Amino acid sequence: MSNQTVTITINGEAYEESVPQRMLLVDFIRDKAALTGTHVGCTYEGVCGACTVHLDGEAVKSCLMLAVQADGHELTTVEGLAQGGELTQLQKSFNEKHALQCGYCTPGILMNMTEFLKDNPKPTEEEVRRGLVGNLCRCTGYQHIVEAVLDAADKQGG
Amino acid sequence: MYPAPIEEYVRPGTVDEAIAALAKYPEGDAFFVAGGQSIMQAIKSRLLRPRCIVDLQGVSGLKGITADSNGVRIGAMTRYREIAEAESLNGAYQAMRDAADRVGDRQVRNRGTIGGSLCWNYVAACMPPVTMSLGAEMELIGAGGASRSVAANDFLLGPLETAREENEILLSINMPAAPANAGSAYKKWGLVTDALPVIGVCAYVELDGSGACTSARVAIGGLGDGPAHSGAAAAALVGNKGNDADAISAALDAAANETETQGDLWADPAYRKQLIRSLGTEVVTTAFQRAAS
Ligand SMILES: Cc1cc2nc3c(=O)[nH]c(=O)nc-3n(C[C@H](O)[C@H](O)[C@H](O)COP(=O)(O)OP(=O)(O)OC[C@H]3O[C@@H](n4cnc5c(N)ncnc54)[C@H](O)[C@@H]3O)c2cc1C
Ligand code: FES
Ligand code: FES
Repeated sequence: MSNQTVTITINGEAYEESVPQRMLLVDFIRDKAALTGTHVGCTYEGVCGACTVHLDGEAVKSCLMLAVQADGHELTTVEGLAQGGELTQLQKSFNEKHALQCGYCTPGILMNMTEFLKDNPKPTEEEVRRGLVGNLCRCTGYQHIVEAVLDAADKQGG
Repeated sequence: MYPAPIEEYVRPGTVDEAIAALAKYPEGDAFFVAGGQSIMQAIKSRLLRPRCIVDLQGVSGLKGITADSNGVRIGAMTRYREIAEAESLNGAYQAMRDAADRVGDRQVRNRGTIGGSLCWNYVAACMPPVTMSLGAEMELIGAGGASRSVAANDFLLGPLETAREENEILLSINMPAAPANAGSAYKKWGLVTDALPVIGVCAYVELDGSGACTSARVAIGGLGDGPAHSGAAAAALVGNKGNDADAISAALDAAANETETQGDLWADPAYRKQLIRSLGTEVVTTAFQRAAS
């Protein structure tokens, strides 16, 4: 088995590493870049969304990609949302509306909904619920998550 | 879960390079990867153990939609996201948008491609019945640059089987220039919002000046033996108008009677037939409306 050297920019910082071709992108993020906010919630199916990150600005599941596929690309993970210690409006709304319990699903949902609100700044509740289909939450029943996303949309004045 | 060891990963820039990269390995040892939304599941579960991955993301000329008087061409690497937004498909080929907009979830639509879906040909997939109903042609290119065009009907074989040769790349999905007075629609039913279809139905109709149907195609997905046309429904629709609810429901009854449905964890055979009737009635009615407007 051979390795391949990749350069992947995560939250503005370039990580140059030699990795086995079979390494999943989510494992690169967690084990090589030591950014453990990105979670793994399913085995091979790619259905839980806990691993969602932005690849060149778009929400994707990082467990359905190899790290070598991200060579030369830019990622944002949940750690990269807040700027200079200031949480984004969506993060603040998650806090205020109690949109998390155990928090396992939260990073993936924040990444998906951050992009969702860029595409659709004034969503209806129905649109938010459909937007969340790719993220499983075992705790909250989604109600407060939906409220938080709508609250963020409201306060961002989209 | 971790994939079995992979020896080589390449990201070629051209179709020729991609075919050559695959041809270096014995059959079954190297795979193309498009959006990875199906094949990565198989690789992670080790159903597939590729020695080499040939990533198609860098290959130029495979992405995007063009629609003009010469016809409609959808590059194989065009993502669901772009298809869902493509207003140029409205009317005759709007079923494509219906389907793409409801595949899986946002993240899957951001990566998954129409070409990947067709080359994988999973039983519970949306694009196979849609391309059959729309009468699409698949353009493939093989070693030596020879290309061929295969009708969706002939391309899509049994579950997970297609007419694609090992080292052929699907270049594009092509349809003739949309005739005036043509419309299509697709709808599926799954266990949760936007889930894999237990049944999905796609309808395409062409109308004459009076609004009567001159030709129709109805294709059904979610069937155990792969997507299938309902010849009975298509025949029963010809000559009828979109406001003739009895004629439409008779056509879908014929479709449900004619189609062999399987029972599984998600639905029994009779329920699948009921889905064919109810989804079918809805999409045929919508297709008529789109054709008329
Ligand atoms: C959570 C989830 C939900 C989903 N829900 C749905 C759904 O509701 N409806 C639905 O239809 N599908 C659904 N899917 C499957 C999805 O549509 C996949 O994107 C699609 O089946 C594969 O496209 P891809 O680009 O990801 O292909 P890949 O997975 O990269 O490739 C699939 C196969 O096609 C081959 N291939 C790809 N492109 C080419 C090409 N141009 N030429 C030759 N060979 C090629 C590859 O070698 C591979 O064998 C879902 C997937 C997930 C993970
Ligand atoms: S870990 Fe579940 S979708 Fe990626
Ligand atoms: S808060 Fe526990 S899984 Fe969502």
